[in-house]
Amino acid sequence: MSNVNAICRRKHAKFFMRFLDLLPSRLASHDSTRVTIAFFAVCGLDILNSLDTIQPATVETIIDWLYRYQVVSKEGEVECSGFQGSSTINTSVPNENITKYKWGHLAMTYTAIATLVTLGDDLKRLNRKAIIKGVAAVQRDDGSFSASVEGNEYDMRFVYCAAAICAMLNDWGTVNKEKMAEYILKSIRYDYGVSQHFEMEAHGGTTFCAIAALQLSGQLDKLSPETIEGMKRWLIFRQIDGFQGRPNKPVDTCYSFWIGASLKILNAFHLTDYEENRSYILSTQNTTVGGFSKWPDSMTDPFHTYFGLCGLSFVNEPGILEIMPSLNISMRAYKKLKELQGHWAPQEPEECSNCSIIDIE
Amino acid sequence: MSDNSSDEELAPDWIPYRQRSDWADVTPIEQDDGENPVVVISYSEKFKDVYDYFRAILASSEKSTRALELTRDALRLNAANYTVWQYRRDILKALGCNLQQELQYIDDVISDNPKNYQVWHHRRVIVEWLNDPSDELRLTESVLSMDSKNYHAWQHRQWAIKTFNLYDNELEYVDRLISEDVRNNSAWNQRFFVLKHFGFTPEVIQREIQYAVNRIRLIKNNESVWNFLGGILHDGGASISQHEEVLAFCEELYNNNVRSPYLIAFLIDLCQEKCLREENAESREALGRRVAELCDGMIREHDVIRKKYWQYVVDSFQLKLNRLKANNDGERNDGTS
Repeated sequence: MSNVNAICRRKHAKFFMRFLDLLPSRLASHDSTRVTIAFFAVCGLDILNSLDTIQPATVETIIDWLYRYQVVSKEGEVECSGFQGSSTINTSVPNENITKYKWGHLAMTYTAIATLVTLGDDLKRLNRKAIIKGVAAVQRDDGSFSASVEGNEYDMRFVYCAAAICAMLNDWGTVNKEKMAEYILKSIRYDYGVSQHFEMEAHGGTTFCAIAALQLSGQLDKLSPETIEGMKRWLIFRQIDGFQGRPNKPVDTCYSFWIGASLKILNAFHLTDYEENRSYILSTQNTTVGGFSKWPDSMTDPFHTYFGLCGLSFVNEPGILEIMPSLNISMRAYKKLKELQGHWAPQEPEECSNCSIIDIE
Repeated sequence: MSDNSSDEELAPDWIPYRQRSDWADVTPIEQDDGENPVVVISYSEKFKDVYDYFRAILASSEKSTRALELTRDALRLNAANYTVWQYRRDILKALGCNLQQELQYIDDVISDNPKNYQVWHHRRVIVEWLNDPSDELRLTESVLSMDSKNYHAWQHRQWAIKTFNLYDNELEYVDRLISEDVRNNSAWNQRFFVLKHFGFTPEVIQREIQYAVNRIRLIKNNESVWNFLGGILHDGGASISQHEEVLAFCEELYNNNVRSPYLIAFLIDLCQEKCLREENAESREALGRRVAELCDGMIREHDVIRKKYWQYVVDSFQLKLNRLKANNDGERNDGTS
């Protein structure tokens, strides 16, 4: 096999290790979302089956670092529990005025917990009750979720994050799942893709968010058979060689995950062309310094590297671990999570993997 | 993921806050990332300086003109920091600032960061406070003139239109975008959004079928307009096969050797639907054969990348048809016994 046709696993592992360590100053625009970069790096190493590249001591370091970003609201105060994405407003001397601005953010909470699980943490330091309260606190009347208690947008992305958090902690608290499903159903477009918010244009990323949230909340059966077939059509039509995110838009490596995972959940991924997909993804890898980009010969980044590898996992690339599509972590991490959930459990253990509900021939 | 923060955007004669006499009363506060942090950003000196002072004003809860200016610098270094945006809004509110000026400022920030969520969110909040959407169509139009598929701009535009009932001239705008680029899926979606607001009357459906058909004649292999056509028929309450003129149009294209996968997919849907409604057994068989033939063409020649999908479509259809037949036979047998 020639180099361009093979996946450069060790180089990608090194690529992720660099991002775990130190980012150049030009990446300061990611200062408020450092946790997501840790997620891509750690989970990326995991699906490369290279988690052992991180020294055991460093694993502990990352876990400790993540827990420092956990926010737990006090009784009687505004509910804003969850994880911050960074330490930008953390100071060595606690300050009440600053504390008022420390809010959990759903995307950071989701990626922090997923990273902890992947690293093998026992989640004992997680204040699960508080986090679920924090999720419920940002649900809106229309069923959608805001990213944080104030100051942020609300849309399908945070519907997904909310569902993923509740599914991982196996606790939906006072989150209104039915309202959430209503919001999702109202955002299905005339072409059967799902938009970021109601009547916006259907989009591959938000279609994933919607379908995954329905599965994680056990509500896929709210989609009619006609709708499911329409969604399959819309998703399958996104394949050009790799996948695009919207009709008439260029192909981009990350949609091999967003579209691929949606089709996986609907049990229709096997209807795509694996070889074309694989070739496209591989054409976007940097064989010199590792990493993937959205297009061939473009700038690599951890986001596209992680999702490129997920895309390869779906086409059964040797040496890449299997992905749990709706939680977007490895199956290995997912199994560890299920074990942890078994230890918590006064709740009815809610079966997450109801993929087979929707096996329509 | 982009790296659009740059120190260069601060003016060349920019003086660090540490050296400014009018900030001498403030003690900067360092970020505390604890022991052994990971994903560390090697902040530039400027970044560190500005954010040290940002933490200081946040800690003292200072809401002043100079603090407002400071947030501006902080946002220039990282426009994605939602805490800084939130604090900026808190200052604007506390000082009762001129919000029209703020809109002007966001205009500039948006043109530098047209794909940044926080910037658009800030815009929305300010427009809500002002209860004045008079500039939003112009702003989004200007952003869309650079990138006609910018999702943020479309979202803001839809929000403004919905919230302040600005539907009146939207169809004209969308029409212009579609004539500039008939493959602009965002514009087709916006067209659907506006039409739905005014309601799908039979006249509207008729007009829109014609609109879509005319644009398909221009470019046949354009998924956006085919999807739109399907949506119009479906949302208009009619099943797609009830519009004979659409079927005739598709057959005409097909007979003229157009083999766009979108056309054939549309025909497959039409024929399936017609077939399942057909009472006459012979016509039903014929339509069934047509579906199989069309799928076969897709598999072998016209849409090879989706060959497994089209096999799945034809197989599922066959199953449905057999089930239907078995039901009908069952009924007939019940009748005779």
